Amino acid sequence: MSKVKNAEAKNKAAPYAAAAPITDSSDIEKLEFTDAKAQKDVSEVDSESAAAREGNDAVISDRYSFPRFLRVSPSPHIKSSDTTSKIMLDVFISLIPAFIWGVFVFGPRALVIGALSVASAVLFEYLFCRVRKKKSTVGDLSAAVTGLLLAMNLSSTVPYWIPVVGSFFAVVVVKGLFGGLGKNIVNPALAARVFLFAWPSEMNTFVAPGVHAGIISGSADITASATPLSQIKMDGTLSASLYDLIIGNVGGCIGEVSALFLMIGGAYLLIRRVITWHIPASYIGTVALIALIFPRLEGDLLNNVLTEIFSGGVIICAFFMATDYVTSPITAKGKLIFGAGCGIITMLIRYFGGYSEGASFSVLIMNLLVWYIDKLTMPKHFGVKGGKASVKEK
Amino acid sequence: MRYTFKGGIHVNEHKNTAACRVRLFSSPERVSVPMSQHIGAPCVCLVKKGDKVALGQKIGKVPDGALGAPVHSSISGTVEKIEMKQDARGVLVEYVTIVNDFENTLSPDIEPCRKRLPEISSEEIIERIKEAGIVGMGGAGFPAHAKISSAVGKATTIIINCAECEPYLTANYRLMMERGCDIINGAKILMKALGIRNVIIAVEDNKPLAIKKLSALVESESMIEVITLKTKYPQGDERRLISALTGIELPAGKLPADVGCVIFNAESAAAIYEAFSDGMPSVRRIVTVDGDCVAEPSNVLCPVGTSVGELVAFCGGLVKEPSKIISGGPMMGVSLWSPELPVTKTTSGILLFSEAVSREPEEYSCIRCGRCVRACPSHLMPFGIAAAFKAGRIDEAEMYGASSCVECGCCAFGCPSKIPLVQYIRLAKGEIRKKKAKKQ
Repeated sequence: MSKVKNAEAKNKAAPYAAAAPITDSSDIEKLEFTDAKAQKDVSEVDSESAAAREGNDAVISDRYSFPRFLRVSPSPHIKSSDTTSKIMLDVFISLIPAFIWGVFVFGPRALVIGALSVASAVLFEYLFCRVRKKKSTVGDLSAAVTGLLLAMNLSSTVPYWIPVVGSFFAVVVVKGLFGGLGKNIVNPALAARVFLFAWPSEMNTFVAPGVHAGIISGSADITASATPLSQIKMDGTLSASLYDLIIGNVGGCIGEVSALFLMIGGAYLLIRRVITWHIPASYIGTVALIALIFPRLEGDLLNNVLTEIFSGGVIICAFFMATDYVTSPITAKGKLIFGAGCGIITMLIRYFGGYSEGASFSVLIMNLLVWYIDKLTMPKHFGVKGGKASVKEK
Repeated sequence: MRYTFKGGIHVNEHKNTAACRVRLFSSPERVSVPMSQHIGAPCVCLVKKGDKVALGQKIGKVPDGALGAPVHSSISGTVEKIEMKQDARGVLVEYVTIVNDFENTLSPDIEPCRKRLPEISSEEIIERIKEAGIVGMGGAGFPAHAKISSAVGKATTIIINCAECEPYLTANYRLMMERGCDIINGAKILMKALGIRNVIIAVEDNKPLAIKKLSALVESESMIEVITLKTKYPQGDERRLISALTGIELPAGKLPADVGCVIFNAESAAAIYEAFSDGMPSVRRIVTVDGDCVAEPSNVLCPVGTSVGELVAFCGGLVKEPSKIISGGPMMGVSLWSPELPVTKTTSGILLFSEAVSREPEEYSCIRCGRCVRACPSHLMPFGIAAAFKAGRIDEAEMYGASSCVECGCCAFGCPSKIPLVQYIRLAKGEIRKKKAKKQ
C-alpha cells in the first residue's frame, strides 16, 4: 500500500514520462524474477473468489440454441438509461413546489390556469404532429413542461384564453414551425409570454398575495396591486420585507413569486444532474454584482443585492429558462458567458427600461446569441496545439 | 489523488465475473486458427490438410520483411481443413482448422528459457517474444516485438495497462489476482529489453483487491510502482492513459514513444513471461464469458481458435436465445455474425445478449443537452459532427474534429435522445477520407 501512497503523493507537475533519465543501468542488470512463492504470501486477499461459483448451479437447458441470424451492429452495444422524457419529467417535477405555492397564494384560479396551459400545450403538440403526418411527440413531455412554464409566468388574473393562445404560440409557432424539439431558436414559454404582452392590461394586472381572483369572474371585482419591482420602479422604495420576497408573499406571476420553492426545484435539477451550476451561478452572480456596484434602493447594500435577486423573474429564469438545453450554449465556458449576458441585460432593463422587469427579455436576447457563443467556446481538440500540454514538434 | 483524464463517462460496471476464478478449457473438439490476428501482414500457412500438429507448433510464419507475429497451433491434432473465411469484421482471412486428438502432445520446439534474468540479453528477449507471436492482447493486436524495437532508446517509462475500463470484462482483473507475479516478471523482462528502470502498473480504483495484491508484490521493487487511476471509461485507451499519468495530450499521428512511454497490456506482459518460463508461445488467453444468455458467466483460459459455440457450451450453455454476440467489451467490441467464429489472441471477452438487451432504441431529435460534449475524451462536439454529416456538410464535420475521434462510443452511450452519434461520426470519417483521397 505504501507504494501506492508514495506514488499518489508525488506532484503531477513532475510527469512520470518526462522524468527518469537512464542514468545507471546497472540496477536493471541485477533484476531477478519475482518468485511465484511471493504470490502465496498475499493470497489471503483473494479470499472472495472461493465463494465465487457456489450457488451458481444454473439450469443448463437445451431449449435454447443460437439463432440463424445474429444482430450485427457497430459499437457501442450498450446505452445509458437516460432518455429525453426522463429529463423533461425531472424538469416538470422540479417546477411543482413553486407552482403549488402559487396556487396557495393566489387561489384555485391559478390551478385552473396551470391545467389549461399544460393541457392546451399538449393538445397543440399532438394536433401539430397530426397535421404534419408525423409520429406524435407528446411522449417526450417537452410540451407539458412548456405549458407549465408558461402558466407560471402568468398572473392569476389573466382571462382563460390567454394561456391557450400562449400555448399555441409557444408550441406551434416558436417550436413546431422551426422543426420541433431541439430546433427552436428561443425559449418557447418565454417567447409566448412576451408575445402575450400584446395584451398589456390583461398581462400586467397583478394582485396582492392572499387575494384570490374568482374562478369565473377573474379580475372583475378585485383590486390590482403592484409587484415589488414595479413598486421600486415607481416609488424607489419597497414595502415588502426580504422574508416575504424569498418565501413568495408578494404580488406577481403564479410561479415566479417564491424564490425559495424555485430554488428547491433548482437544487433538485442540480442534484439529478439535469442542469449544471454554470448558468444559474453566473446569471445570479452578475445580477448581484451589478446591484452591489450600482444600488437602486437606499440603505443596506446586502439588502439591496438580495432584493434584486429575489424579486421578479431572476430565480425562475436562472434555474429553468436560461438553462433550457435547446436554447443555451453547450460548453461550460459558453454557459458562463450566457449567464453573465442575461444578468447584464436584466439589470439594464430594470434600471433604464420602460418595463419594470427584464429577465424574460434578457434570456430571449441571449438565446439569439447562442450559436455565436458556441462557436467562440468550441473546446480544443485532444492533443491539438495550444491545448493544455500538447507535444512539441521535434 | 487518483489519476484521471478530462472527459469520459461512468458506465454501470457489470463486473459480474470479478469473483470467478479462471477455469481452464483445454479440450475443445476443434479449433480454427486465423492466420491474421494482428496488425500487419497475414501469416503464410506452414501446414497442409491432413498434417499432424503438436501444441505450440508454428503453423503460420510472417512473410519476410513484413510486420507481423507468427501463429502457433493451440492444441495437438490433425489439420482438418484450410480455408478462406470472413472474420468478425468481414475481411477474408485464411483459417486453419485443427481437430483435437486430446493427447496434448507438446511441440519439440517449446523450450523454457533456463537462464536467470540477469543473463538474458536484450536481443535474445526480442527474438523470443517475436518467435512466441505475442501481440497487444488488449484488443489492438500490435506485434509486441515491433513495439519494443521501435521504443528502444526513446521510451523512458514502461506502462503496464491494467485499467480494464470496459464494463463486463474481468479477464485482466483475474490475471492480476491469480498471476500477478507473471505480470511483474513480464514487466521485468521488458525493463531488461528496453533498458528502462521505471515501470508503472496502472489499475483503476474499482479493483482495490488487485491494487493491494500487486502493491504487495512490488513492495521490495524500487523501480516498479502501482498507480491508482480513477474508474472511468475509456481510461484504458493508450492516449487517455498517458494523459492521466503525465498530463500530456498525445496528438493523433504521434506514438507513445515520442513522449517517452511504451504501453503494454497486462495479459501481454504475462504472456511474455510465459514465453520465458514455459517457452509457450501465445496460444491461449483468458476470456470473460458473460451476458444475460450465459448459464454460468465465467473467466475461461482457452486455446486461441476455440469457437464461441464451444466456449459457451463449456460455460453451461444458453439460458436465453442470444440476439447479439460481442467479441470484446460492450463499448468497443465487435458484434459477431456467427457463433462459429473463434477466439483470437485479442479477444478479451465474449458477451451474449438477448433481444431485450441488444435492441436498438429509436432515435429522437437532439436536444443539445451537451452530454456528448462533456463525455468526449477527445474534446470534440459529437452532436455537431453528427448533425453536419446528416446534412451532408462534410467540411463542417471535419471542422468539428471528426478525424480526431477515437470511436470510444462515450457520446452514443450517454445520449438521452439515443442518437447513434459515434456511428454517424464513423460515417463522416469515411467521407472525409474519401474526399482527401480524391484531392490527392
